[in-house]
This record gives sequence, C-alpha cells and structure tokens, in this order.
Amino acid sequence: MLYTIPIFSQLEGVMKHVLNFFHSSIGLPWAWSIVATTVVVRMILVPLTIRQIHSMQNLQKHAPQMKEIQKKYKQDRQKQNEELMKFYRENNINPAASCLPMLAQLPVFIALYYTLKHFNENFGIKPNSHVDLSFLHFIPSISDHTTSHWGGFVLLFVYVASQMASSFFMMTTTDKMQRVLFMVMPLFFVFVIAHFPAGLVLYWVTTNLWTVGQGLITRRLVGKTPAPVIERRSSRTPPKDDGSSGNGAKSEAQPPQPPSASQRPRQVRRKKKRTSRR
Amino acid sequence: MTAVSRIPSLLGVGLIWVWRLTFGALFPTTCKYHPSCSEYAVQSLRRHGLVRGSVLAGWRLLRCNPWSRGGFDPVR
Repeated sequence: MLYTIPIFSQLEGVMKHVLNFFHSSIGLPWAWSIVATTVVVRMILVPLTIRQIHSMQNLQKHAPQMKEIQKKYKQDRQKQNEELMKFYRENNINPAASCLPMLAQLPVFIALYYTLKHFNENFGIKPNSHVDLSFLHFIPSISDHTTSHWGGFVLLFVYVASQMASSFFMMTTTDKMQRVLFMVMPLFFVFVIAHFPAGLVLYWVTTNLWTVGQGLITRRLVGKTPAPVIERRSSRTPPKDDGSSGNGAKSEAQPPQPPSASQRPRQVRRKKKRTSRR
Repeated sequence: MTAVSRIPSLLGVGLIWVWRLTFGALFPTTCKYHPSCSEYAVQSLRRHGLVRGSVLAGWRLLRCNPWSRGGFDPVR
C-alpha cells in the first residue's frame, strides 16, 4: 500500500542504482554490495560523528555538575530536564544526541527494504536462474525472509548482540530505567525484523558494527581528555561566558565577584607578565 | 477546536505514535531539546492543527541537528 507513494519508488530507484554500481562496476557479490552501501552511508555521516565526539568530551567535563542538578531535582523529572537543558545552554554544551541524523537513516532503510522486496524484478533475475545471493555461506539468499533458513537465525542472533552493543555506546542518558529499556529493546524488535528480507538484517548488523567501532574509538579519544578539577573550572567559566554570549545586560546584572584567595595571585602574575612583554 | 476539526491532527499524532513504537524504538538516542522532538510534534499538532503543527514540528526536527545547541524549547 505504502508503495503507491511516489517517493518510495524513487528511493528504490536510487538504491537500485547504488547496489548495481557495487555489483556490476566494482564486481562485489550482491550481499557484499549491501555491506558496501552501508559503509558508504556511514562514512557520509562521519562529520556528524566527529561533532558527537566533541560533544561527548564536553559532556564528560561537566558531568559532576550535571549529577548535582539531577540530585537536586530528583523528585520532579520535568523540572530536572528543564534545569539540565538550561545548564547545557549556559555552558555551551551540545548534547551528543540529536534527532536529524537518526532520521536521515530512515530513507536508506526504506529504499533497501523495497529494493530487496522486488529484487528479482529490479535486477532482471529470472526465478530459476542461478544467481549468487548468498552471504558467507550461511545465508542462502539476501532477498528471502530471514527466517526461511537456519542461517537467518544466526544472523538474527548477531543482530541482537550488535544492537545491544551499539545501544551501549550510543546511549547518552544516565537514567537507569531508560538504559535497561534500550538494552532490552532488540529482544522485542527481533520479532519484527525476522519478517524482513535477510539483506535488510545484514544492513542493520553492518551499521550496528560500525556504531560499535565508532564507539570504541570515541571512548578512547574521550578517555584521553584529563578530568578537570572543579575549582579550576569555576575560575575559567566567567570570561568564557562573557565572550560567547556577548550580552552586555547579562554581565551587568551579575555583581562583580571578588576573586577567591587562590585566584588572586595568579591573576596578578598574568598581568605582570603581559606588561613586561610589552 | 471542534471534535471534527481535530481529526486531521489526531491522525498526525497517531503517526507519531507509530514512529515511536517502531523505528524510533530502534535508536537509543534521547533528544537534545526538552520537550523531545516527538513530544513537541504531538503538542504542536494538538495546539495548532495538522498544517501549522506539522510545519512547526518539521522546523524543530531541522533544528535538532549536531550543530544546534539544544535546550528548553516548548511549543509556543
């Protein structure tokens, strides 16, 4: 029914050309063309990932203060969220997750679904002709339903494992209930995905594995940033805030805070250095 | 709004629920805004009807990208 919407057939047309390029021009088997397409899609999304790594580093820096806010508004979830969002804005934090990149993967998924569904018609394959649609010797055909062969169950198992692993890396929430929910979700979703063509599950497994790899690299990069000392940060934030907001009224409203005893000597020393250089 | 004029926006809300239960469940991401994009869409559809509500929700989705700052952003 949904197929009657023109955009779906257009998406299918694009995916057909992409798969055909990998198969006919580069010479990959059909199943590996799907893997290659997935990798290309994820490579296009890499700039977003780099941005996410920066966000995660920033989030980690401010983690202690955010925990304090969460503790303060433990009873009122709505208020807790609002305060957290305010804190993000004040400190120029960009939370790692956002909806648009997530939504960007939807057309790819739909396109692949329809391309695989009409695989034989799309690529002019006759029903009894011998075309290799297998994947790693355990999936006989990527256009068949996943559960039509024992290999499909292996693939579904890999899917659940990889989905759980990618959930683990992608999660930005610290809420325990939500974390558990996201980890358990693939166990339910597997019943839906079992009705899809095996090639679509292959797409999901590949994209999940990419996420896991990305997560591992991100962790390593984020782990390298030194954990900041809270006192040092409090002395650093005010000038940063003035510069980024550029809001004169805001700075006027705040009474000038007397520098603490630990800060004073440092500031004086800096001034002296500047004058001596000039 | 009368009950009849509410039907289109309720259809939109139904679609958002379909998204939430199917594809949305696949991605373990939380929105950078509060209320979240889907919650914002439900609220704006209820308040402004199908056409204006969808435009507002679409604009919010575009804002929910890695380069925006996020934060508290209720439906006006």
